[in-house]
Amino acid sequence: MNKKYFYLLLLPCFLFLLIFMVIPILVTTLSSFYLDGRITLEGYRSFLTDHYFLNILFRTLRISLLTTTICIILGFPVAYYVSKLNVKLKFIFIAAAVFPLLISPVVRSFSWMAILGREGIFNTLLKKIGIINEPIQFLYTELAIVIGLVHLFLPLMIIALIGVMENIDYDLVKAAQSLGASRFTSFIKIVFPLSVPGLVVGSVLVFVGSLTAYTTPQLLGGSRRVMSTLLYQQSLTLNNWYTASIIATIMIVATFIIIGIMNKIAQKLNPKG
Amino acid sequence: MSLISLEDVTVAYDNKINILEKFNLNVEKGKLISLLGPSGCGKTTTLRLIAGFLEAKAGKFTFKDKNYTNIPVYRRNFGFVFQNYALFPHLNVFENVAFGLKQRKVPKSEIRKRVPEMLELVDLNGFEDRFVTELSGGQRQRVAIARALVINPDLLLFDEPLSNLDANLRIAMRVEIRRIQQELGITSIYVSHDQEECFSISDEVAIMNKGVIEQLDSPSVIYKYPKTEFVARFIGFTNFIDFEVESSENGKLLLNSNHSKFRALKTNDVKVNKSYKGVIRPESIKMKSYIENEKQSENSIKGSIKISTFLGGLHQYVVNTELGEITVNSDREPPYDAGENVILSLPEDKLVLVEKG
Amino acid sequence: MKNERNYLLTLMTFLVYFFLLGPLLIIIVVSFGPDRYLAFPPNGFSLKWYSNIFEVSMFMTTFKISITIALLGNFIALLLGLPAAYALSRYNFRFKNTLNAIFISPILIPGIVLGFTLLKFLIISYNIPMFTGLLIGHIILMIPYIVRVISSSLANLDFSIEEAAMSLGANRFKTFFIIVLPNIHSGIIAGVLLSFLESFNTVDVSLFLSGPGISTLPIQMLNYVEYNFDPTIAAMSVLLMVFTVIFMFVIERTLGLTFFTKSR
Repeated sequence: MNKKYFYLLLLPCFLFLLIFMVIPILVTTLSSFYLDGRITLEGYRSFLTDHYFLNILFRTLRISLLTTTICIILGFPVAYYVSKLNVKLKFIFIAAAVFPLLISPVVRSFSWMAILGREGIFNTLLKKIGIINEPIQFLYTELAIVIGLVHLFLPLMIIALIGVMENIDYDLVKAAQSLGASRFTSFIKIVFPLSVPGLVVGSVLVFVGSLTAYTTPQLLGGSRRVMSTLLYQQSLTLNNWYTASIIATIMIVATFIIIGIMNKIAQKLNPKG
Repeated sequence: MSLISLEDVTVAYDNKINILEKFNLNVEKGKLISLLGPSGCGKTTTLRLIAGFLEAKAGKFTFKDKNYTNIPVYRRNFGFVFQNYALFPHLNVFENVAFGLKQRKVPKSEIRKRVPEMLELVDLNGFEDRFVTELSGGQRQRVAIARALVINPDLLLFDEPLSNLDANLRIAMRVEIRRIQQELGITSIYVSHDQEECFSISDEVAIMNKGVIEQLDSPSVIYKYPKTEFVARFIGFTNFIDFEVESSENGKLLLNSNHSKFRALKTNDVKVNKSYKGVIRPESIKMKSYIENEKQSENSIKGSIKISTFLGGLHQYVVNTELGEITVNSDREPPYDAGENVILSLPEDKLVLVEKG
Repeated sequence: MKNERNYLLTLMTFLVYFFLLGPLLIIIVVSFGPDRYLAFPPNGFSLKWYSNIFEVSMFMTTFKISITIALLGNFIALLLGLPAAYALSRYNFRFKNTLNAIFISPILIPGIVLGFTLLKFLIISYNIPMFTGLLIGHIILMIPYIVRVISSSLANLDFSIEEAAMSLGANRFKTFFIIVLPNIHSGIIAGVLLSFLESFNTVDVSLFLSGPGISTLPIQMLNYVEYNFDPTIAAMSVLLMVFTVIFMFVIERTLGLTFFTKSR
């Protein structure tokens, strides 16, 4: 009705995010291109030629990619199974996936410290069975980080996939099978393409989450730093705020690039166009 | 002086396309007037403008000689009955009906008296404590009507109130609406796209097309004497024949079409030497078998049956004539065969001239 | 063939859920152990780690701060987010999708980067107190949950009841409070609970916005775990899980847990 008024409803929220989110991020990003009174890419050049930093950047990307891949491989069949259950069972499985999501990442990473540590449950178990004599180093490895992150983000992938798979018309699958397609073929040709939107949403959440997670790599990675722990170290421990701004910018830009790429992929793969 | 008057009202969505442009409408007190037309014709816009849900870009809305153009909806005291009932889901039937009274700060004791009275009027006594979700569609619409009526509105507005009900209930409810409206003598505006519904309950019907009222008359006048080609088509005329008016005398017209002469009564304002569409309903045309050498009576034309379809109780024929294809209904048994030659006569009081659309 | 495949799928599903929930079960079990280290299975039964929670004063201090931030932040996020969610659901306008994306974006903006920029921008550049900075960070974090959950609640609302109320004499403002709010209260409750949990659990945003005297419970737990490896944290985790279950129960009652699969 009164078109002028409803902008007032949007304004406070918009201004709040503009002032406290958009502007600080823009200022930080821009400041990373500004050194000794001039605009320069020097900071990025030295960051990207430093072996220590490059190592961490690639480790972070490697871990995120691996985590996302594992989440897809594990999440897809599970979501497919859950989406075909009856209402009651489906509810239980969804609740069981939502529950860990609402638990603090500190608690969840802590549980893996208890499992993967030198005196942890896993090593104790292996020793008891007699497979090993000396404990294996699980904790403070890249593997530990990946396990922790998969544990952290797999529920997101499962839930995102259940969301789209629930809406698949399984008569299509039956029709395909009646036309001679095998169960596997009909799954690949019908269920998979229709699940792409959920897969993309899930992958973005998992990849971006893994790329920027702090708690899990901090607790499970030990000295194996990733971008987020590096950001913390450079700024608060080493007081190197300029490098920290570069790291923050790289994380933000990477996040937007991933979201952009995934949107493109979604548009290409989406059967509805 | 009419109760409602819209003068040169213009309404636009998003300030771009005008849904109504310089629109005029007058309604007299106590009447039930329908706005009828295809979707997008502006009928709902007109209603929402009168209700105050929409603002006019230009023009003036006068109600009871007072300028209502800028009076906000909540001060207008008009009852509105919605297509989807729009009952408050968190309130029970009593609270729904009492809502308008509470806004008017009516004392509790009076609310407790007036709400049951109103529920009685719509035949829902005893439903006070029910929740909206427990009611059928017809019951919901009764609650909605009671809720709109309890505030003693100056005007009652209906926006396709029956379109979500099934066919039998629709007929029962429209009788009910007409009964209540006449009992209370309340001026009402009724929007629908259902011709039968509008004709059956209205004092007057306004047929709308593209934001313009094509004709505003009583249902029987519109049914018999449409003014424009659009109205004629909309209310079921199927035959449209080009005629030129040769002369007009004493309310009788002499028409010419393709060198055939026809007569018709002058129902609309027509001018000599101008061409019009002559419209006639298929059931108004008389048809008989063609007999060789028989003298043709006035207003008749020879033709041959092209297509015959069975409508139950009668047949509908498409007949090829010099004036083009003419649709005719006939209940003759046995039915005419395809290709059979026939004579059609068009009664002069059923042939109506309308402006070309 | 068919049965074998289903059998494999079932097995895999249960293994994955065991992977998701097993570690949490282990935490519950070890929290009742008597030893100073995490023993599984525990060598006895004890509640001493539960009482130890209350002896570590920093836990109590930071718990209070976390609760204050979550409640106060929630209140402000609701004041900002509720009108915005309403306007987004109720009206169509040109920049609707852009605005919606901005309101939802804090979910995807890395929390650690947000915390870092707030520290630089607010605390270092403008000398804003740490507590205020922390509060602002958490409000940003909560806005998308408030906006999204309430929007989905508003999406189910038939706005013609607003017009009905106004035609019966209630003005626009009053209509919002007596007609719109009562019909979306479950969405509001669920949004508040979800954003409360999000704020209460988060580490990333708070990391840069804590200092002497100002810290949140998860940050405190993180620090504790890095230096002490006794079951206190396990006991704490169990308490948090109990709260989470209660919250989930209320969310299911108000919003329905299926919201999580449908909202995207």
